Amino acid sequence: MTTNKIEINGLTVNYIDNKRSFNALRDVSFGVGRGEFVSVIGASGCGKSTLLSVLEGLYAPAGGSVQIDGKELHGTGSERGVVFQHYSLFPWMTTKKNIEFGIKQTHHDIKRRERSRIADEFLTKVGLSDAGSKYPSQLSGGMQQRAAIARALAMDTEILLMDEPFSAIDPKNRIILQELLLSLWEGDGSEERKTVVFVTHDIDEAILLSDKIVVLTAHPGTVNEVVNVPFERPRNRAELVGTQEYGRFRNRLLSLLNTDIAERIGGDEVVL
Amino acid sequence: MTIAKRYLRVVHLLFIALLLIQLLPDKSTKDVYTGSLIAFAVAAEAVVLITSSFVKKEASLKLVVDIAGFIFVVLGIWSLATAKFNILNDLLFPAPGKVIHQFAEDKATIVTNIESSLGTTIKGFLIAVIVAVPLGLFIGWSARIGSAATYITKFFSSIPPIVYIPYGIALLPTFKSVSVFVIFLATFWPVFAGTMSGVLGVDKKIIDSAKVLNVSKPEMLFRVILPASLQQIFLGCNQGLSVSFILLTSAEMIGARDGMGYYVKYYSDFGDYTRTITGLLVIGIVVIAVTFLFNKLQNHLLRWKR
Repeated sequence: MTTNKIEINGLTVNYIDNKRSFNALRDVSFGVGRGEFVSVIGASGCGKSTLLSVLEGLYAPAGGSVQIDGKELHGTGSERGVVFQHYSLFPWMTTKKNIEFGIKQTHHDIKRRERSRIADEFLTKVGLSDAGSKYPSQLSGGMQQRAAIARALAMDTEILLMDEPFSAIDPKNRIILQELLLSLWEGDGSEERKTVVFVTHDIDEAILLSDKIVVLTAHPGTVNEVVNVPFERPRNRAELVGTQEYGRFRNRLLSLLNTDIAERIGGDEVVL
Repeated sequence: MTIAKRYLRVVHLLFIALLLIQLLPDKSTKDVYTGSLIAFAVAAEAVVLITSSFVKKEASLKLVVDIAGFIFVVLGIWSLATAKFNILNDLLFPAPGKVIHQFAEDKATIVTNIESSLGTTIKGFLIAVIVAVPLGLFIGWSARIGSAATYITKFFSSIPPIVYIPYGIALLPTFKSVSVFVIFLATFWPVFAGTMSGVLGVDKKIIDSAKVLNVSKPEMLFRVILPASLQQIFLGCNQGLSVSFILLTSAEMIGARDGMGYYVKYYSDFGDYTRTITGLLVIGIVVIAVTFLFNKLQNHLLRWKR
């Protein structure tokens, strides 16, 4: 087995709330291979966003280690691009300026004119070629997330961290954005795929997008299981969702997700 | 806009009423300069007509029309109470034509005085903003001294800046520099406090998205924190600006040799109330003009907020 791009080992994170410290994550370990798309799913409060903010470098763990390319992670880094659920873009910059600003942060050597060209290119890729001069407040939530994805991709970082990027988007647009992300990430095969860690609470989203799914259970957040997604790429949502294999796989994930709930209410099966 | 919406306005009736009032015989024995009043009214009516023909937004036309209407009504009543019926003491209450005539006559002096007043204000105001904003950004951003700084600011901003004038006079060589100094103090504290509260109020999500972009410290301060706190900074600036005018004119009345406050004080000491009122009106117009321009700047810089 080759070395992983991201290696998380025995990660423990404490949160302090009302002067009481509690375990948000306990002994979390998993690896993310180079060019792999890994989703982290779990009920709300299971610490999946906390896990991502540790990867982003915004939150320091209490124990364990996170390594990127074998090097211990310290704070934020220009090899990681991030898309949040809200407010990834700066409201005082136009969409295009936001992207150019992002490019400047990771590639100090790229000249202004080239930055503008790259920004236009990625705006077109996400279908926002007319929205470059608009401010984020003039865009819908879906368009803002398109722009945020365009920025993250234009920054051309090796790793993409996405924290529930589509959970505030209406179902129809969510599907469109998932397809868009997938096609941009898969590319035409000429470039190496980016390593993605994608946090979501949407099981179907996780199955459709990922190579591997990390299922977290809550109180404290621990890894219940890491599951490989058995479906070939490129995946066709419409065909896939109807199959028996899909249904079985989805049920397996659901029961993994609800293990802790079943334990807490005393039964061994949860009917949903 | 339809023709009717553009030209069928009550303001034109008010204009005609004002002219008709001028046909009444003057009761006042002094020269009331009816010609100057009529010239001014015609000019105002011309502005209304030009605006009616060319302006695109109905709201802006309505604004101009309403202001002109107000001016015509005030001039009409004023002229009735003074020149036409002599109800008010004509020494204390000059006729409107006289004030307009005085303004035209003293134009050069008035312009010099405005320049002097505005120069002093802008100097004090700009120096204060240039010092207070970066300082507020730095101190607000370094959270540890932030909370102490808030209390210290509260203390200093609660001292009315006007009480610094006597000390300023002892401290500084010219009265002009005292005015600049006092305006500086009057602007510095609200802008500094506004900047700090802006910085402390910046949404954590915005700071996080800047952090994950790995921005440098100067970029964090000036390209993220500064625009994110701009609204609060402008709040402080507006407060500073309005206090500045109060202070400046008060200071000019105490000991200056020029400026609009000096103009008003000087002529009222001589009992020249025509010039006093002229001065008052000019100060009002100047303050409104500056505030208007400043709001334009503010709206432009905050255009990204819906």
